[in-house]
Amino acid sequence: MKTATVLIIAIVAQAMGNVYLTKAMKSVTSGGGDVLGTAMRAASDPMVWLGTALLIVFFALYSAALSWADLSFVLPATAFGYVLNVAAGHYFLNETVTPARWAGSVVITLGVFLVSRSGARTGTQAASLRSGASEISR
Amino acid sequence: MMTALMIAIVVLGGSAGDVFITKGMKQVGEISTVHPRKLIAIAGRVLTNVNFLIGVFFMACSFFAFLAVLSWADLSFVLPATSLSFVITTLGAKFVLNEEITRLRLAGTVLVCLGVALISLP
Repeated sequence: MKTATVLIIAIVAQAMGNVYLTKAMKSVTSGGGDVLGTAMRAASDPMVWLGTALLIVFFALYSAALSWADLSFVLPATAFGYVLNVAAGHYFLNETVTPARWAGSVVITLGVFLVSRSGARTGTQAASLRSGASEISR
Repeated sequence: MMTALMIAIVVLGGSAGDVFITKGMKQVGEISTVHPRKLIAIAGRVLTNVNFLIGVFFMACSFFAFLAVLSWADLSFVLPATSLSFVITTLGAKFVLNEEITRLRLAGTVLVCLGVALISLP
């Protein structure tokens, strides 16, 4: 439950961060100009900072989840972020989503569902923690 | 050839980064507080953990290799190729971190890998 809550907030923060960064960078580069000018405009755009802050939130929560959950659980689980990114691109940035992308989203969702059924902790660490109880329940 | 090498750095760097960050975070220990002062203390321990920092270094290498390869290769080729990292990282989790990869988890991870490749096609 704790893992699910932390990862869901992480994924939403990541998707929102990507949307804000995309929006901001499209408007920053629309004026043209040299690299330095673009960098200066990006650094003075609050939306760039908001997007970056949200991605930092994502990374902090992702690392926090890794302090107790398996990497082989957290990594595929956060792949659900790809689906949110596709949906966010479609609804907030008016990007066209090809059938292959929708199909990919469905396949990822299915994969994340399977991974989530495998439990967040199966490593040797967890095995020693629940040694007695799980042997009996099995 | 150069493209293949760079994609290998992107994938292996990202996977190594994830494995080291996990190692570091497991050393720091389970975070089970939302108390701001305690969280700041934990952040201090995380940011001075050698394994965590090595992980961040590998991720940075992976990111810069990604940027470099994009300067000559198509994103629509590079992005599906990087979906391989899901499988590589899972192997790292099994053999370096001794995590138990059940059949269910493996099947899910392979589906995620396929789905990410599909999503990143042009």
